[in-house]
Amino acid sequence: MLLIECPHCGPRNGTEFTYSGKIQPRPVMKGSDFEARAEWRRYLYEEDNFAGFAKERWFHGNGCRKFLDIERHSVTNEISSVSPAGEAS
Amino acid sequence: MGKSYEHADAAPKTRVSRIRLPTIHDQGTHLPTSKVPLRIPAGRKFSALSLVRKGMTGGDWPLVWRHHELAPTYDVVIVGGGLHGLATAHYLAQNHGIANVAVIEKSYIGSGGSGRNTAIIRSNYLTPEGVAFYNRSVQLFEQLSQDLNFNVMFEQRGHMTLAHSDASLRTMRWRAEVNKVQGIDSQVIDPDEIAKLVPLMDVSANTRYPILGALWHPPGGIARHDAVVWTYARSADAAGVHLHMNTEVTGIEVKGDQVIGVQTSRGDISTPIVINCTAGWSSIISDMAGVKMPIHTRPLQAAVTEPVKAFLDPVIVSGSLHVYVSQTARGELVFGAATDPFASYSTRGSLEFIESLAGHVLQLMPSLAKMRLLRQWAGLCDMTPDFSPIIGPTPVGGFYVDVGWGTYGFKAGPVAGEQTAEAVATGRIPELIKAFQLDRFEKGALTGEKGAAAVGH
Amino acid sequence: MRLSPQSGEIIDRSSPLPFTWNGKPLTGHVGDTIVSAMAASGVKVFSRSLKYHRKRGILTANYLDPNTILQVDDEPNVRAGHRRLEAGMNVSSQNTWPSLEFDVKSANQAVGRFLAPGFYYKTFISPRPMWPMYQRVLRRFSHGGRIDDQVTSDHYDKRYAHPDVVVAGAGPAGMAAAIAAAKAGASVMLVEEEYRLGGHLRYGSADDLEALATLLAEVEANNNIEVLANSVVGARYDDNWIMINQRDPGHVRERLISARAKTLVVAAGTIERPYVFEGNDLPGVMLSGAVRRLINLYAVKPGERAVVFTANPEGDLAAQDLSRAGVEVVEVVDARSGGDLVGAKGRGKLSTVEVGDRSVDADLLVTSVGWTAPTSLLNMAGCRPVYDQGAARFVPTDLPDDVLVTGGMVGDGSTEQLVAHGSVIGTNAAARALKIRARWQRLTPSALPPALVEVVEESAPDLLPQAHPELYRASTHGFVDYSEDIKSKDLISAANEGYNLMELNKRYTTVTMGPIQGKLEVANAVAIHAEATGRSIAETGTTTWRPPYAPTSLGALSGAEMDPVRYSPMHQWHVARGATPLVAGMWIRPEHYGDPAAEVRNVRAKVGIIDVSPLGKLDLRGTDVPKLLNFVYTNKWSKLTVGSVRYGVMCAEDGVVMDDGVVGHLGEDRYLMTTTSGGAGLVWNWIDDWLQTTHPDWDVTMTAVTDGFASINIAGPNSRELLGRLTEVDLDKEAFGYMKVREGTVADVDGCVIWRIGFTGELSYEVHVPAGYALHLWKALMEKGQDLGVAPFGVEAQRIMRLEKGHFIVGQDTDGLTQGFSLGLDWAIKLDKDDFAGKPELEWQAADGVQSRIVAIQPVDPTVVPEEASQILEGTDIVGRITSSRMSPTLGRSICLGVVADHLKEPGTILNVRLGNGETAKAAVMEHHAHFDPQGERLRG
Repeated sequence: MLLIECPHCGPRNGTEFTYSGKIQPRPVMKGSDFEARAEWRRYLYEEDNFAGFAKERWFHGNGCRKFLDIERHSVTNEISSVSPAGEAS
Repeated sequence: MGKSYEHADAAPKTRVSRIRLPTIHDQGTHLPTSKVPLRIPAGRKFSALSLVRKGMTGGDWPLVWRHHELAPTYDVVIVGGGLHGLATAHYLAQNHGIANVAVIEKSYIGSGGSGRNTAIIRSNYLTPEGVAFYNRSVQLFEQLSQDLNFNVMFEQRGHMTLAHSDASLRTMRWRAEVNKVQGIDSQVIDPDEIAKLVPLMDVSANTRYPILGALWHPPGGIARHDAVVWTYARSADAAGVHLHMNTEVTGIEVKGDQVIGVQTSRGDISTPIVINCTAGWSSIISDMAGVKMPIHTRPLQAAVTEPVKAFLDPVIVSGSLHVYVSQTARGELVFGAATDPFASYSTRGSLEFIESLAGHVLQLMPSLAKMRLLRQWAGLCDMTPDFSPIIGPTPVGGFYVDVGWGTYGFKAGPVAGEQTAEAVATGRIPELIKAFQLDRFEKGALTGEKGAAAVGH
Repeated sequence: MRLSPQSGEIIDRSSPLPFTWNGKPLTGHVGDTIVSAMAASGVKVFSRSLKYHRKRGILTANYLDPNTILQVDDEPNVRAGHRRLEAGMNVSSQNTWPSLEFDVKSANQAVGRFLAPGFYYKTFISPRPMWPMYQRVLRRFSHGGRIDDQVTSDHYDKRYAHPDVVVAGAGPAGMAAAIAAAKAGASVMLVEEEYRLGGHLRYGSADDLEALATLLAEVEANNNIEVLANSVVGARYDDNWIMINQRDPGHVRERLISARAKTLVVAAGTIERPYVFEGNDLPGVMLSGAVRRLINLYAVKPGERAVVFTANPEGDLAAQDLSRAGVEVVEVVDARSGGDLVGAKGRGKLSTVEVGDRSVDADLLVTSVGWTAPTSLLNMAGCRPVYDQGAARFVPTDLPDDVLVTGGMVGDGSTEQLVAHGSVIGTNAAARALKIRARWQRLTPSALPPALVEVVEESAPDLLPQAHPELYRASTHGFVDYSEDIKSKDLISAANEGYNLMELNKRYTTVTMGPIQGKLEVANAVAIHAEATGRSIAETGTTTWRPPYAPTSLGALSGAEMDPVRYSPMHQWHVARGATPLVAGMWIRPEHYGDPAAEVRNVRAKVGIIDVSPLGKLDLRGTDVPKLLNFVYTNKWSKLTVGSVRYGVMCAEDGVVMDDGVVGHLGEDRYLMTTTSGGAGLVWNWIDDWLQTTHPDWDVTMTAVTDGFASINIAGPNSRELLGRLTEVDLDKEAFGYMKVREGTVADVDGCVIWRIGFTGELSYEVHVPAGYALHLWKALMEKGQDLGVAPFGVEAQRIMRLEKGHFIVGQDTDGLTQGFSLGLDWAIKLDKDDFAGKPELEWQAADGVQSRIVAIQPVDPTVVPEEASQILEGTDIVGRITSSRMSPTLGRSICLGVVADHLKEPGTILNVRLGNGETAKAAVMEHHAHFDPQGERLRG
C-alpha cells in the first residue's frame, strides 16, 4: 500500500486517498463547432498514459478532505512530490 | 455511431486531421481476400491416437511453432503476441490469405493480459452491440478446439451474476431482457434456484448483502487461457506467420499520414500496416505512431487458492461485492475483482486487494474460510471511458488498433481477431465492430456499456 | 519408531496426544508435528500423487513437504510436516479412493506415458458432444482436500502495526539482526515461520544449541523485540507495507498483521533442493533436513538401512545423525569426489539404491545436493536474483534502501559469521529506520519533536556462498515437481516441442504451479529447462515468485466482518414496528411495515410519516453560494429569496445526470442543500473538488450535516394539521406556501428546518431535526396524529407515490449515458447561464436533438405490470425500456416510467413492450409524467 505524505496530516496510508486522474485544465468552451467539441471531449476522455512520473490529483477523503497535487511514477509508484491542489512548487 | 468508414472520411476538411479517418483504399494498401482453409500438417495433428503413438514410441512432438529470423519486410506487423495479436494473425491468414505477417512480442507469447486473466467467457452484455459481438466470440470459442485441433478446455458450466439490491436486480433483468431479444440464453433466477446451483452459497436473508437473485447465463464458462493463446500461435505459425518472441517494438515509423515501418530490438521492418494489440501498454505503442487514445492503464489483480475437490460449477460474479469466483478443473478457486483504484503500470499487487477479496468471498460462501490463497498477480488493463474496446483504423494510415480491452479482453479474443483481420483485409469496418470505433469519443457517441456496472465480468 | 531421548528434542514424552489417521487411532506427543507423530508410529505413505497416484512419503518434513499435505478435520490441505499435533485430530489422506493403500487411480501409472504434461490439450477434442463428459472425468482428478458445508465458527482478526524494523526469519542471522536493531533503539518485529526460533541451530550440534540458547536469552530480554512465532511474512508491498500471517496466536485462529515497516530485514535462510533421478519420489527418499529434523527434534528413526548422497557439510551431518540414531548407513556417496546416484527402486517404497553399476539395499536414501534462496520478498521489492554458478544457487542483488538481507540467503558461514553479519545488517536497518521515523515525525503536525537518535551504518563482513557442485539431475529422469507429478523428461519434451522459454514451459507443464509454488523445485526446473534448450541457467533465469510467500487462509485475509452499516435514529422504532429492512447502500431502511399499498392509501387519504434521514444534507455558507449553485446545478439560483426552496438537477461534465435535490435559502448567505441518499458522498466530494481546485476564490464554506440532522417527511391532506399541533411556525398556506422553508421549534426541539416540498404529490412537510431528538419528534408525530390517522410509510410506498407523480429517480430511470435533456425537464436546464458543469455537452445535446427521453407509460391492459427493465421493441430492434413500474393503488391500474427513442415520445404513441414471459403488451405514452394529479393541486393545497 502506498504511503502518501499529506502536507496537512503527515504520512498516511494510501487507502485514505482517492485518485482523481491526471491534472487537466478545464477548457473554456469556444463554441460548438467540431473542433470545440473535440477539445472538450479530449478533456473528458483523454489523458496522458505514459510510463513515468506524472502529475495527478488525489483527494484525502478519509483525512483532511483536501485535494492534493501529487507527482507519481506510474511504474514504480514512487511519489516525488505532494502539495495542496494548485500550489505545486 | 453506426457511421460507415467512408462516411467518416467525407467529414469536412476543417476538422483537425487526427479526427479524420482515412479509408484504406486511399492508401493503396488494400489487400486481396481469399478463404484459405486451415492446414495443420497431418504429422502435426493432435488426437488421442497421436498421444498413444508418442507414448509408445517416446518420440518428441513436432514443434508447436517455429523460430524465424526477422524479415526486412512484412505485409502486416502485429505488435503484441497475446491472444488478440495471435488471433488476428491467424484470421488474417486463414480467412484472408494474408500470411506474410509478423507478430512482435517483447516477452513470451501470452505473457501479458492473455496469461493473467481469469479466463471467463460469456455473452450476457447489456447493449445489443455488446451482445452480438460477444456472442460471436462464444461461438468461436465453442468451435475452437475442433477447428484448430487443440483442446482449449472451454467448460460451459454457466455464469451467474448475483444481485444484492433492487437496483442490481433491475440491471440483471435489463441484461436478461436484452439478451433474450437477441436469442441469448440468459434469465433472472431467484435465491432458491441459486442455492440449487451453488449449494455453498449463503442465500439467507439476514446477511449484510442479502442475495436477491441472479442473472443466469448457462453458455458462460471458463477455458484455459494459455491454451487459447497457443492454439492461435500454432495455427498462425502453420499458415506461415512469423512469431518473434523476446523482440520489443521501440518505434513506429510514420511518413506523412502513413505507417511505413517498425523499429524493434532486433532490427527494423518495413511494412504498410501495423496493428496495435498490446492491451495495457497500448497507449505507449499508439503514442509511437502519434495517435492519442482515450485510454488509461490500470492494474487488474487476480488470485488463486490451493486446490480442493470440485464443489463449484458456475462462474460466480457479484458486482456489488466486487468479486468473481470460479473453480478450475484443477480444483483451484480463481478470484478476480475490480481494477485497482488508481492508474498504474505496476503488476506488484496489493494486500488490500486480497483482503477485500477474501472478505467478500466469505460473505458469499462462509464455509471457505479455511481455504488458502496460494498466489496473487496482476495484469494491466487499458481502460476506455465507456467500458468498450476500440477496434479499427486510426487517423494514421495503416495504423490499426485492437485495444481498450479493459477487463474483458480474454473473452473477446477470437472475435476481436476475426473482426480486426477483416477490417484490415477488406478496408471496411465490419458490422460487429461499428460501435467500437475510435472516433466515437470525439463524436460523443459512447457505447451503452458505460451504463452497466463497472464489474460485470 | 521413537528413539531414546535426544538432546535437542522438543517433544514432551510425558503428555501423549491421541489422534486418528484415516480412522485408525494413533498417539503422539506434545511438540510433535502431525507428520513426526505419524512417522514415529510407523507410517511411511502419506499421500498419492496428483496424476499417477503414486505412493508418497516424507520428503522435507516441514512446511514445504509436498507429500504430507493432509486433511485435518474440516480443514483441507494442512501442511502436516509443519502443523503441531493436537489431541483428537482426525487426519486423513486426500484424493485417494477407496483407500490410501489401494487407490483405483493408481492404474494411471500404467498409462503414465500417455499422460505427459499438456496431454489434455491434445486429446478429448472430438467428438465435441463428448466434451462435457470428459470435463467431469478431468475434474475428478483435481487434487486437494475437501471443504465442508458446515460454516466454521472460528474467529479471525487483524492488527495494524508500525514497527521500525521487521525481521523475516529467526535463524541465527535474523535473531542477531533483531537484537542489534533493538539495541540501536529500533522497535522490532521478529517473525518466524516455525513454532520455535533458531532455524537450523535447533537440530544442530551441542555448540549450535548453546549458541541458540544465548541468542534466545538476548531476544527474550529485549523489550524492543516482539517475537511472532508460527507466523510468516507473506509479502512486501509498496512502501514496505508488510503482510504477516500470525497463525494460532490464541483466542483467534489466525491474525493478519499489516505492518508499515520502516525497514525490512529478510533473513529467510535457504530451502534444500531435492535431486532429480529415477525413483526420487519413492517413500524412503528424503532430504537431509528431513532426517535431521526427524531425529533431532522429534526423536524419530527415519529408516533402518540408509544411503546418503551428499555434496555439502549438511549432508555429512545428516550421515552422522543417522549413525548416532542407530540407522545403518550402508553407503555415503560423495558428490564432491565425483560420486553420483543413478536411481532408486522399489514397489511403493524404497528397496534398492543404484550407485554406479551397483545396487545397494536400503529403505532410506538421503540426499543433500544444494540450496535455494527463497527470494519472494526480495522479488517484490524489485530485486532480480542472479545465478552464481560456483555456488550453484541464485543470490539476491539490487535491493532498495528499505530492504536488507542477511543469513543463508546471502551466503554460508559458521554461526559466529552468520551472527556477525546479522548484527551489522540489524544495526544498519535500525539506522535507516530511525531516519525515516524522524522524517515522518517531522511531517506529522501533531507529533512530538523527533527524538534524534543517530545510528551510524557499518559495512557488513563478508558472507559468501560456499563453493558447491552444480547438482540438479542424475543420468536418469525423475520427478521435478512432486505436487504436479512433473518429471524432468516432461520439461525436456515440452521445451523440444517449442515451449522453449522458461515461462512457457512452466505454463505448459504446470511445473512450480502446485501448492508448494516452486519453492522446492524451481531451481531444478530452471536447470533442466536450461539443459533442454542448451542455454545456461544464468541465461534462463528464475521464474517470478508471486506473493504470498506462504498460503494464507481466506479467513485470515478477511478478518472479522467489519462492513459499516448506517442506521437512522428511528431505526429501532422501525424494527419494533416490524418493518421489512431494505439494504440501500450503507443504509438499512424500512421498506414497508406490512402493506405498502395501504400505506399509499393512508397518505393519499389522511397522513403518513416517512423516515428520510439518509438524504444527503450539506450546509453551505458564504457570499458566493449562489455562484456555486449556479455552477453545480443546471438551473438558475441567483434570485432564490430567503425562505424559498428550489429543485435542481446536477450533471457531470459529460452532461450525464448525476444527482438531483433541493436547496433552501435559510438566511443571509446561509443555505441547506439536499442530495439523493445514494449520491450524498459523491456530491459532497464533487463540490469540494470544484471549490478547492477550480474556484478557491469563492467564499463558500461547506459542512456535511447528513448525520447531524435526521429527516422526516409528513405527507398527506392532514399533514398541516398534524405538524401544526407540534410547532409555533405559521403553517398557513399563504404564510408558508409550496416550495418555502422555515426554521423553528418542533415538538420543543429547537433548530429544526421545515420545508414544504413533496415527492409524494401530497401536501407535505419535510422536517430536518437535530438527530439526537429525531426519535422524540417521530414518536410525538405518531402520538399527536392518532386521531388524524397517522401511520408510518416505507420506501416502497414512497416509490409508488413518486411514480404516480412521475418523478424520476437518478440511477433507476436514468443510466450512465442519460444527458440532461433526456429527462424531459427542459425548464430546469438554463443554457443562457454563463457556465456550469456539463454545459457544453448539454448545449450540443440540445443542438443535435435529443435521442431518447423519459416518458410516462401506461399499459393498455391496466392489469399488466411490465417488469422493470422490460424492453420496448420495434420489430426486433430495441427502442426503449421500462425503467419503473408498479400497480398504482390510487389509480387501480399499472403505471410506468420508461425511456424511449425520440420518435416515440409523442403522447398517445402505442409501444410494444416485451414482457418477461416473452409476450408483448401494448402500452401508451402519456401526456404528462405524472399519472396522478398532473396539475399538482393537492401538493399546493
